[in-house]
Amino acid sequence: MNGNEIIPISNFQLALSVILVLLAGSVSALLRLGLLKSLLWGTVRTFVQLFLIGYALTYIFNLNSPPVIFAIILIMCAIATHAATRRSSNVPDYPKAIGFLSLTASTFLVGGIVVGLIITPEPWYSARTVVPIFGMILGNSMNGIALSLDRLYSETRSHIAEIESLLSFGATPWEAMRERIKEALRAGMTPTINSLMVVGLVSLPGMMTGQILGGADPREAVRYQIVVMLMIAAAVAVGCLMLVLLSYKHLFTEDAALNTTKIKVKQ
Amino acid sequence: MKYLIELQNLSFQTGGAGPAITVSAGLPAGSVLFISGPSGVGKTTLLRTISRLHGSISGEVYLDGQSWASYSVFQWRRLVHYFPQKPVLFSGTVRDNLTIPFTVARVSKDVVLNHDRAKRLLTLLLPGKSPEQDASTLSGGESSRLALIRALLIEPAVLLLDEPTAHLDRKTGTLVLQALAGWLNEQPRRGIIMVSHGNDAAQLVEMGASTDILNLGGRGKGAWDK
Repeated sequence: MNGNEIIPISNFQLALSVILVLLAGSVSALLRLGLLKSLLWGTVRTFVQLFLIGYALTYIFNLNSPPVIFAIILIMCAIATHAATRRSSNVPDYPKAIGFLSLTASTFLVGGIVVGLIITPEPWYSARTVVPIFGMILGNSMNGIALSLDRLYSETRSHIAEIESLLSFGATPWEAMRERIKEALRAGMTPTINSLMVVGLVSLPGMMTGQILGGADPREAVRYQIVVMLMIAAAVAVGCLMLVLLSYKHLFTEDAALNTTKIKVKQ
Repeated sequence: MKYLIELQNLSFQTGGAGPAITVSAGLPAGSVLFISGPSGVGKTTLLRTISRLHGSISGEVYLDGQSWASYSVFQWRRLVHYFPQKPVLFSGTVRDNLTIPFTVARVSKDVVLNHDRAKRLLTLLLPGKSPEQDASTLSGGESSRLALIRALLIEPAVLLLDEPTAHLDRKTGTLVLQALAGWLNEQPRRGIIMVSHGNDAAQLVEMGASTDILNLGGRGKGAWDK
Protein backbone atom coordinates (compact mmCIF):
# COMPACT_ATOMS: atom_id res chain seq x y z
CA MET A 1 0.00 0.00 0.00
CA ASN A 2 1.80 3.14 1.12
CA GLY A 3 4.94 1.21 2.10
CA ASN A 4 4.88 2.52 5.66
CA GLU A 5 5.01 -0.09 8.37
CA ILE A 6 4.62 0.31 12.10
CA ILE A 7 8.05 -0.09 13.74
CA PRO A 8 7.58 -2.46 16.68
CA ILE A 9 9.20 -1.63 20.03
CA SER A 10 10.96 -4.71 21.46
CA ASN A 11 11.22 -5.44 25.17
CA PHE A 12 14.82 -4.28 25.12
CA GLN A 13 13.89 -1.03 23.41
CA LEU A 14 11.08 -0.51 25.90
CA ALA A 15 13.53 -1.03 28.76
CA LEU A 16 15.71 1.68 27.25
CA SER A 17 12.88 4.17 27.76
CA VAL A 18 13.73 4.01 31.45
CA ILE A 19 16.66 6.28 30.51
CA LEU A 20 14.07 8.99 30.09
CA VAL A 21 12.84 8.43 33.64
CA LEU A 22 16.42 8.62 34.93
CA LEU A 23 16.77 11.95 33.15
CA ALA A 24 13.65 13.36 34.80
CA GLY A 25 14.63 11.76 38.12
CA SER A 26 18.08 13.34 38.17
CA VAL A 27 16.54 16.77 37.64
CA SER A 28 14.32 16.15 40.63
CA ALA A 29 17.16 14.78 42.77
CA LEU A 30 19.57 17.54 41.80
CA LEU A 31 17.19 20.35 42.66
CA ARG A 32 15.64 18.48 45.61
CA LEU A 33 12.16 18.87 44.18
CA GLY A 34 10.92 15.97 46.27
CA LEU A 35 9.27 14.45 43.22
CA LEU A 36 11.43 11.38 42.87
CA LYS A 37 9.10 9.04 44.71
CA SER A 38 6.04 10.18 42.76
CA LEU A 39 7.98 9.95 39.52
CA LEU A 40 9.04 6.36 40.14
CA TRP A 41 5.56 5.38 41.33
CA GLY A 42 4.09 7.08 38.27
CA THR A 43 6.46 5.18 36.00
CA VAL A 44 5.50 1.87 37.53
CA ARG A 45 1.84 2.71 37.21
CA THR A 46 2.24 3.78 33.58
CA PHE A 47 3.82 0.42 32.74
CA VAL A 48 1.31 -1.65 34.66
CA GLN A 49 -1.85 0.28 33.69
CA LEU A 50 -1.02 0.46 29.99
CA PHE A 51 0.04 -3.18 29.72
CA LEU A 52 -3.15 -4.23 31.43
CA ILE A 53 -5.28 -1.99 29.22
CA GLY A 54 -3.42 -3.32 26.17
CA TYR A 55 -4.38 -6.88 27.03
CA ALA A 56 -7.90 -5.81 28.02
CA LEU A 57 -8.44 -3.97 24.74
CA THR A 58 -7.17 -6.92 22.70
CA TYR A 59 -9.62 -9.12 24.53
CA ILE A 60 -12.48 -6.65 24.13
CA PHE A 61 -11.80 -6.07 20.43
CA ASN A 62 -11.82 -9.80 19.80
CA LEU A 63 -14.94 -10.31 21.87
CA ASN A 64 -16.70 -7.35 20.19
CA SER A 65 -19.86 -7.81 22.27
CA PRO A 66 -22.27 -4.84 22.51
CA PRO A 67 -23.22 -5.38 26.20
CA VAL A 68 -19.54 -5.53 27.18
CA ILE A 69 -18.73 -2.38 25.19
CA PHE A 70 -21.70 -0.62 26.74
CA ALA A 71 -20.64 -1.64 30.24
CA ILE A 72 -17.06 -0.52 29.63
CA ILE A 73 -18.19 2.90 28.43
CA LEU A 74 -20.39 3.32 31.50
CA ILE A 75 -17.46 2.44 33.75
CA MET A 76 -15.32 4.97 31.88
CA CYS A 77 -18.06 7.59 32.43
CA ALA A 78 -18.12 6.83 36.15
CA ILE A 79 -14.34 7.13 36.47
CA ALA A 80 -14.36 10.38 34.47
CA THR A 81 -17.11 11.78 36.70
CA HIS A 82 -15.13 10.91 39.77
CA ALA A 83 -12.05 12.65 38.38
CA ALA A 84 -13.97 15.71 37.22
CA THR A 85 -15.79 16.30 40.49
CA ARG A 86 -13.02 15.34 42.86
CA ARG A 87 -10.25 17.52 41.50
CA SER A 88 -11.70 20.75 42.85
CA SER A 89 -11.56 21.67 46.52
CA ASN A 90 -13.68 24.56 45.36
CA VAL A 91 -16.73 22.35 45.00
CA PRO A 92 -17.78 20.80 48.29
CA ASP A 93 -20.35 18.01 48.47
CA TYR A 94 -21.03 17.85 44.79
CA PRO A 95 -23.79 15.40 43.82
CA LYS A 96 -21.96 13.03 41.50
CA ALA A 97 -25.18 11.88 39.87
CA ILE A 98 -25.53 15.18 38.00
CA GLY A 99 -21.93 15.00 36.76
CA PHE A 100 -22.38 11.40 35.68
CA LEU A 101 -25.63 12.15 33.91
CA SER A 102 -24.18 15.12 31.99
CA LEU A 103 -21.00 13.30 31.00
CA THR A 104 -22.80 10.13 29.97
CA ALA A 105 -25.55 11.87 28.04
CA SER A 106 -23.20 14.17 26.13
CA THR A 107 -20.79 11.33 25.42
CA PHE A 108 -23.49 9.03 24.08
CA LEU A 109 -25.14 11.80 22.06
CA VAL A 110 -21.95 12.97 20.36
CA GLY A 111 -20.35 9.52 20.22
CA GLY A 112 -23.52 8.16 18.67
CA ILE A 113 -23.45 10.79 15.92
CA VAL A 114 -19.76 10.22 15.21
CA VAL A 115 -19.93 6.44 15.13
CA GLY A 116 -23.40 6.02 13.65
CA LEU A 117 -23.42 8.82 11.05
CA ILE A 118 -19.84 9.81 10.27
CA ILE A 119 -17.45 6.87 10.68
CA THR A 120 -20.06 4.06 10.25
CA PRO A 121 -17.84 1.05 11.07
CA GLU A 122 -18.89 -2.53 10.31
CA PRO A 123 -20.57 -3.67 12.54
CA TRP A 124 -21.82 -0.33 13.93
CA TYR A 125 -20.80 -1.26 17.46
CA SER A 126 -17.24 -2.24 16.48
CA ALA A 127 -15.25 -2.03 19.70
CA ARG A 128 -12.13 -0.96 17.79
CA THR A 129 -13.92 2.27 16.82
CA VAL A 130 -16.38 2.82 19.64
CA VAL A 131 -14.09 2.42 22.65
CA PRO A 132 -11.33 4.86 21.53
CA ILE A 133 -13.82 7.41 20.18
CA PHE A 134 -15.92 7.43 23.35
CA GLY A 135 -12.73 7.50 25.39
CA MET A 136 -11.47 10.60 23.60
CA ILE A 137 -14.80 12.33 24.04
CA LEU A 138 -14.86 11.50 27.75
CA GLY A 139 -11.28 12.56 28.40
CA ASN A 140 -11.98 15.98 26.96
CA SER A 141 -15.47 16.66 28.20
CA MET A 142 -14.30 15.59 31.63
CA ASN A 143 -11.86 18.51 31.67
CA GLY A 144 -14.46 20.90 30.32
CA ILE A 145 -16.97 19.86 32.94
CA ALA A 146 -14.42 20.15 35.74
CA LEU A 147 -13.61 23.71 34.64
CA SER A 148 -17.27 24.71 34.30
CA LEU A 149 -18.16 23.28 37.65
CA ASP A 150 -15.27 24.97 39.37
CA ARG A 151 -16.14 28.30 37.79
CA LEU A 152 -19.84 27.99 38.61
CA TYR A 153 -19.03 27.63 42.30
CA SER A 154 -16.30 30.27 42.44
CA GLU A 155 -18.43 32.77 40.48
CA THR A 156 -21.37 32.17 42.79
CA ARG A 157 -19.20 32.50 45.86
CA SER A 158 -17.74 35.81 44.73
CA HIS A 159 -21.14 37.23 43.73
CA ILE A 160 -23.34 36.24 46.65
CA ALA A 161 -24.43 39.82 47.32
CA GLU A 162 -25.38 40.43 43.68
CA ILE A 163 -27.27 37.15 43.39
CA GLU A 164 -29.20 37.83 46.61
CA SER A 165 -29.89 41.38 45.49
CA LEU A 166 -31.50 40.07 42.30
CA LEU A 167 -33.44 37.49 44.32
CA SER A 168 -34.70 40.24 46.61
CA PHE A 169 -36.21 42.04 43.61
CA GLY A 170 -38.12 38.86 42.79
CA ALA A 171 -35.72 37.21 40.34
CA THR A 172 -35.91 33.47 39.81
CA PRO A 173 -32.71 31.48 40.50
CA TRP A 174 -32.20 31.36 36.73
CA GLU A 175 -32.45 35.16 36.41
CA ALA A 176 -30.19 35.66 39.40
CA MET A 177 -27.61 33.17 38.13
CA ARG A 178 -27.67 33.95 34.39
CA GLU A 179 -24.37 35.87 34.35
CA ARG A 180 -22.69 33.25 36.56
CA ILE A 181 -23.91 30.45 34.30
CA LYS A 182 -22.55 32.20 31.22
CA GLU A 183 -19.16 32.56 32.88
CA ALA A 184 -19.13 28.90 33.86
CA LEU A 185 -19.93 27.82 30.30
CA ARG A 186 -17.25 30.12 28.89
CA ALA A 187 -14.68 28.67 31.26
CA GLY A 188 -15.53 25.11 30.23
CA MET A 189 -15.61 25.73 26.48
CA THR A 190 -12.76 28.20 25.98
CA PRO A 191 -9.85 25.70 26.05
CA THR A 192 -11.56 23.52 23.43
CA ILE A 193 -12.31 26.48 21.17
CA ASN A 194 -8.72 27.69 21.56
CA SER A 195 -7.46 24.27 20.59
CA LEU A 196 -9.57 24.44 17.39
CA MET A 197 -7.64 27.62 16.52
CA VAL A 198 -4.12 26.28 16.90
CA VAL A 199 -4.48 22.59 16.10
CA GLY A 200 -1.71 21.44 13.76
CA LEU A 201 0.17 24.72 14.16
CA VAL A 202 1.56 24.35 17.67
CA SER A 203 1.56 20.57 17.98
CA LEU A 204 0.14 17.58 16.24
CA PRO A 205 -2.68 16.05 18.25
CA GLY A 206 -1.93 12.74 19.93
CA MET A 207 -4.42 10.73 17.94
CA MET A 208 -3.08 11.96 14.62
CA THR A 209 0.52 11.39 15.72
CA GLY A 210 -0.45 7.88 16.74
CA GLN A 211 -2.06 7.13 13.39
CA ILE A 212 0.95 8.48 11.50
CA LEU A 213 3.41 6.46 13.61
CA GLY A 214 1.12 3.51 13.05
CA GLY A 215 1.68 3.84 9.30
CA ALA A 216 -1.40 5.80 8.23
CA ASP A 217 -1.31 8.32 5.41
CA PRO A 218 -1.14 11.77 7.07
CA ARG A 219 -3.94 12.96 4.79
CA GLU A 220 -6.19 10.23 6.17
CA ALA A 221 -5.08 10.90 9.73
CA VAL A 222 -6.03 14.56 9.26
CA ARG A 223 -9.58 13.63 8.32
CA TYR A 224 -9.97 11.61 11.49
CA GLN A 225 -8.48 14.41 13.52
CA ILE A 226 -10.96 16.93 12.14
CA VAL A 227 -13.86 14.72 13.14
CA VAL A 228 -12.27 14.22 16.56
CA MET A 229 -11.73 17.95 17.16
CA LEU A 230 -15.30 18.82 16.23
CA MET A 231 -16.79 15.99 18.24
CA ILE A 232 -14.80 17.10 21.28
CA ALA A 233 -16.06 20.66 20.86
CA ALA A 234 -19.64 19.40 20.63
CA ALA A 235 -19.30 17.05 23.59
CA VAL A 236 -17.75 19.74 25.78
CA ALA A 237 -20.50 22.21 24.87
CA VAL A 238 -23.34 19.77 25.48
CA GLY A 239 -21.75 18.32 28.63
CA CYS A 240 -21.01 21.71 30.21
CA LEU A 241 -24.46 23.04 29.37
CA MET A 242 -26.21 20.05 30.89
CA LEU A 243 -24.01 20.07 33.93
CA VAL A 244 -24.42 23.77 34.65
CA LEU A 245 -28.16 23.78 34.02
CA LEU A 246 -28.65 20.79 36.29
CA SER A 247 -26.29 22.02 39.02
CA TYR A 248 -27.15 25.66 39.56
CA LYS A 249 -30.54 24.81 41.04
CA HIS A 250 -28.76 22.63 43.53
CA LEU A 251 -27.29 25.83 45.04
CA PHE A 252 -30.77 27.05 45.97
CA THR A 253 -33.21 25.94 48.63
CA GLU A 254 -36.70 24.69 47.82
CA ASP A 255 -37.94 28.22 48.49
CA ALA A 256 -35.54 29.58 45.81
CA ALA A 257 -33.13 31.15 48.30
CA LEU A 258 -29.39 30.92 47.78
CA ASN A 259 -28.07 28.12 49.98
CA THR A 260 -24.71 29.55 51.01
CA THR A 261 -23.73 26.45 52.97
CA LYS A 262 -23.53 24.59 49.64
CA ILE A 263 -20.79 26.84 48.34
CA LYS A 264 -18.74 27.20 51.50
CA VAL A 265 -15.21 25.92 51.00
CA LYS A 266 -14.38 23.08 53.34
CA GLN A 267 -11.71 23.97 55.86
CA MET B 1 -57.69 43.82 58.83
CA LYS B 2 -55.64 44.91 61.77
CA TYR B 3 -52.12 44.61 60.49
CA LEU B 4 -50.33 45.25 57.21
CA ILE B 5 -47.82 42.54 58.03
CA GLU B 6 -47.94 40.08 60.86
CA LEU B 7 -45.40 37.54 62.10
CA GLN B 8 -47.07 34.56 63.75
CA ASN B 9 -44.72 32.42 65.85
CA LEU B 10 -42.07 32.87 63.19
CA SER B 11 -39.18 30.64 64.15
CA PHE B 12 -35.73 30.81 62.62
CA GLN B 13 -32.12 29.99 63.29
CA THR B 14 -29.08 32.23 62.91
CA GLY B 15 -26.08 30.77 61.12
CA GLY B 16 -25.74 27.01 60.98
CA ALA B 17 -26.50 25.96 64.55
CA GLY B 18 -27.63 28.94 66.59
CA PRO B 19 -30.55 28.62 68.98
CA ALA B 20 -33.98 28.89 67.38
CA ILE B 21 -35.63 32.26 67.91
CA THR B 22 -39.39 32.62 67.77
CA VAL B 23 -41.09 35.97 67.30
CA SER B 24 -44.63 37.23 66.93
CA ALA B 25 -45.34 40.78 65.95
CA GLY B 26 -47.72 42.86 63.91
CA LEU B 27 -47.22 46.09 62.02
CA PRO B 28 -50.15 48.39 61.28
CA ALA B 29 -50.07 50.08 57.87
CA GLY B 30 -48.20 53.36 57.79
CA SER B 31 -45.92 52.60 60.72
CA VAL B 32 -42.37 51.54 61.47
CA LEU B 33 -41.32 48.58 63.58
CA PHE B 34 -37.81 48.78 65.02
CA ILE B 35 -35.99 45.58 65.83
CA SER B 36 -33.60 45.95 68.72
CA GLY B 37 -31.27 43.60 70.50
CA PRO B 38 -27.57 42.96 71.05
CA SER B 39 -25.44 42.39 67.96
CA GLY B 40 -25.29 38.80 66.76
CA VAL B 41 -28.73 38.00 68.15
CA GLY B 42 -30.22 37.53 64.69
CA LYS B 43 -31.74 40.85 63.69
CA THR B 44 -30.44 40.65 60.13
CA THR B 45 -31.46 37.00 59.88
CA LEU B 46 -34.96 37.93 61.04
CA LEU B 47 -35.28 40.46 58.20
CA ARG B 48 -33.92 37.92 55.72
CA THR B 49 -36.32 35.29 57.02
CA ILE B 50 -39.30 37.64 56.66
CA SER B 51 -38.40 38.25 53.01
CA ARG B 52 -37.87 34.51 52.44
CA LEU B 53 -34.17 34.82 51.64
CA HIS B 54 -33.47 32.67 54.70
CA GLY B 55 -35.46 29.58 55.54
CA SER B 56 -37.79 29.61 58.54
CA ILE B 57 -38.24 26.64 60.84
CA SER B 58 -41.92 27.18 61.52
CA GLY B 59 -44.54 29.88 61.76
CA GLU B 60 -45.98 32.16 59.16
CA VAL B 61 -45.96 35.73 57.97
CA TYR B 62 -49.16 37.39 56.78
CA LEU B 63 -49.31 40.28 54.36
CA ASP B 64 -52.70 41.98 54.14
CA GLY B 65 -54.15 39.01 56.01
CA GLN B 66 -52.82 36.45 53.54
CA SER B 67 -50.23 33.86 54.46
CA TRP B 68 -46.87 34.05 52.72
CA ALA B 69 -47.52 30.53 51.49
CA SER B 70 -50.25 31.88 49.20
CA TYR B 71 -47.80 34.19 47.41
CA SER B 72 -45.17 33.01 44.97
CA VAL B 73 -41.76 33.51 46.57
CA PHE B 74 -40.78 35.90 43.76
CA GLN B 75 -43.79 38.12 44.27
CA TRP B 76 -43.29 37.98 48.03
CA ARG B 77 -39.69 39.16 47.83
CA ARG B 78 -40.65 42.18 45.78
CA LEU B 79 -43.55 43.05 48.10
CA VAL B 80 -41.72 42.33 51.34
CA HIS B 81 -38.39 43.64 50.19
CA TYR B 82 -35.14 43.16 52.07
CA PHE B 83 -32.65 46.01 51.84
CA PRO B 84 -29.21 44.91 53.11
CA GLN B 85 -26.82 46.94 55.17
CA LYS B 86 -24.34 47.01 52.30
CA PRO B 87 -26.47 47.09 49.18
CA VAL B 88 -24.94 46.08 45.86
CA LEU B 89 -24.56 48.25 42.83
CA PHE B 90 -24.26 46.56 39.47
CA SER B 91 -21.76 47.64 36.83
CA GLY B 92 -23.11 50.41 34.62
CA THR B 93 -24.54 53.87 35.10
CA VAL B 94 -26.83 55.26 37.79
CA ARG B 95 -29.71 54.76 35.35
CA ASP B 96 -28.71 51.12 34.68
CA ASN B 97 -28.82 50.47 38.40
CA LEU B 98 -32.32 51.88 38.68
CA THR B 99 -33.63 49.87 35.74
CA ILE B 100 -31.97 46.53 36.53
CA PRO B 101 -34.85 45.23 38.69
CA PHE B 102 -37.11 45.73 35.68
CA THR B 103 -35.09 43.14 33.74
CA VAL B 104 -36.57 40.62 36.16
CA ALA B 105 -39.72 39.12 34.66
CA ARG B 106 -41.69 39.24 37.93
CA VAL B 107 -40.98 42.96 38.44
CA SER B 108 -41.70 44.04 34.88
CA LYS B 109 -45.00 42.15 35.07
CA ASP B 110 -46.14 43.76 38.33
CA VAL B 111 -44.69 47.25 38.27
CA VAL B 112 -44.24 50.02 35.73
CA LEU B 113 -41.08 52.05 36.23
CA ASN B 114 -42.21 55.47 37.39
CA HIS B 115 -39.74 57.83 35.73
CA ASP B 116 -41.10 60.92 37.48
CA ARG B 117 -40.67 59.37 40.87
CA ALA B 118 -37.17 58.18 39.93
CA LYS B 119 -36.24 61.73 38.98
CA ARG B 120 -37.78 63.16 42.13
CA LEU B 121 -35.96 60.69 44.38
CA LEU B 122 -32.67 61.27 42.57
CA THR B 123 -32.95 65.02 43.10
CA LEU B 124 -33.83 64.49 46.74
CA LEU B 125 -31.28 61.84 47.69
CA LEU B 126 -28.48 62.29 45.18
CA PRO B 127 -28.58 65.98 44.26
CA GLY B 128 -26.25 66.90 41.43
CA LYS B 129 -25.80 63.33 40.18
CA SER B 130 -26.54 62.58 36.56
CA PRO B 131 -28.33 59.36 35.59
CA GLU B 132 -25.53 58.81 33.09
CA GLN B 133 -22.80 58.83 35.73
CA ASP B 134 -20.89 55.58 36.17
CA ALA B 135 -22.25 54.04 39.37
CA SER B 136 -18.81 52.81 40.40
CA THR B 137 -17.72 56.45 40.91
CA LEU B 138 -20.26 56.93 43.73
CA SER B 139 -19.10 56.97 47.35
CA GLY B 140 -20.31 54.35 49.82
CA GLY B 141 -23.07 56.58 51.19
CA GLU B 142 -24.16 57.64 47.71
CA SER B 143 -24.25 54.01 46.60
CA SER B 144 -26.56 53.00 49.39
CA ARG B 145 -28.89 55.94 48.64
CA LEU B 146 -28.97 54.94 44.98
CA ALA B 147 -29.83 51.40 46.03
CA LEU B 148 -32.59 52.77 48.26
CA ILE B 149 -34.12 54.64 45.32
CA ARG B 150 -33.97 51.38 43.36
CA ALA B 151 -35.74 49.56 46.19
CA LEU B 152 -38.51 52.18 46.33
CA LEU B 153 -39.06 52.00 42.58
CA ILE B 154 -40.06 48.32 42.65
CA GLU B 155 -42.95 49.40 44.90
CA PRO B 156 -42.72 47.05 47.84
CA ALA B 157 -45.50 47.01 50.44
CA VAL B 158 -43.09 46.44 53.31
CA LEU B 159 -39.46 47.52 53.35
CA LEU B 160 -37.10 45.53 55.55
CA LEU B 161 -34.20 47.88 56.21
CA ASP B 162 -30.94 46.78 57.78
CA GLU B 163 -29.33 49.84 59.38
CA PRO B 164 -30.09 52.17 56.50
CA THR B 165 -28.34 55.15 58.10
CA ALA B 166 -25.33 53.33 59.58
CA HIS B 167 -22.78 54.63 57.09
CA LEU B 168 -24.24 58.08 56.56
CA ASP B 169 -23.42 61.37 58.22
CA ARG B 170 -26.19 62.94 60.28
CA LYS B 171 -27.41 65.21 57.54
CA THR B 172 -27.73 62.57 54.83
CA GLY B 173 -29.12 60.16 57.41
CA THR B 174 -31.94 62.62 58.06
CA LEU B 175 -32.43 62.99 54.33
CA VAL B 176 -32.86 59.23 53.97
CA LEU B 177 -35.32 59.09 56.89
CA GLN B 178 -37.30 61.93 55.33
CA ALA B 179 -37.49 60.02 52.06
CA LEU B 180 -38.68 56.95 53.96
CA ALA B 181 -41.28 58.87 55.94
CA GLY B 182 -42.49 60.43 52.70
CA TRP B 183 -42.71 57.02 51.03
CA LEU B 184 -44.65 55.66 54.00
CA ASN B 185 -47.30 58.36 53.76
CA GLU B 186 -47.53 58.42 49.99
CA GLN B 187 -49.90 55.46 49.90
CA PRO B 188 -52.08 53.91 52.60
CA ARG B 189 -50.79 50.34 52.78
CA ARG B 190 -47.09 50.61 53.38
CA GLY B 191 -44.83 49.75 56.28
CA ILE B 192 -41.21 49.51 57.36
CA ILE B 193 -39.43 47.03 59.58
CA MET B 194 -36.03 48.36 60.49
CA VAL B 195 -32.89 47.32 62.33
CA SER B 196 -31.16 50.38 63.67
CA HIS B 197 -28.70 51.29 66.39
CA GLY B 198 -28.89 55.06 66.08
CA ASN B 199 -31.59 57.51 66.92
CA ASP B 200 -33.52 56.85 63.72
CA ALA B 201 -36.61 56.05 65.78
CA ALA B 202 -36.61 59.42 67.52
CA GLN B 203 -36.12 61.22 64.23
CA LEU B 204 -38.91 59.29 62.51
CA VAL B 205 -41.27 60.08 65.40
CA GLU B 206 -40.36 63.74 64.99
CA MET B 207 -41.31 63.39 61.32
CA GLY B 208 -44.71 62.14 62.43
CA ALA B 209 -44.31 58.39 61.86
CA SER B 210 -45.77 55.96 64.36
CA THR B 211 -43.15 53.52 65.56
CA ASP B 212 -42.80 50.50 67.79
CA ILE B 213 -40.04 48.23 69.01
CA LEU B 214 -39.60 44.47 68.79
CA ASN B 215 -36.88 43.34 71.15
CA LEU B 216 -34.85 40.30 70.17
CA GLY B 217 -32.80 38.50 72.79
CA GLY B 218 -33.16 41.19 75.42
CA ARG B 219 -35.51 41.02 78.43
CA GLY B 220 -37.79 43.86 77.42
CA LYS B 221 -40.74 43.12 75.19
CA GLY B 222 -42.25 45.40 72.61
CA ALA B 223 -45.92 46.18 72.60
CA TRP B 224 -46.49 44.14 69.44
CA ASP B 225 -45.15 41.00 71.12
CA LYS B 226 -48.02 38.75 72.02
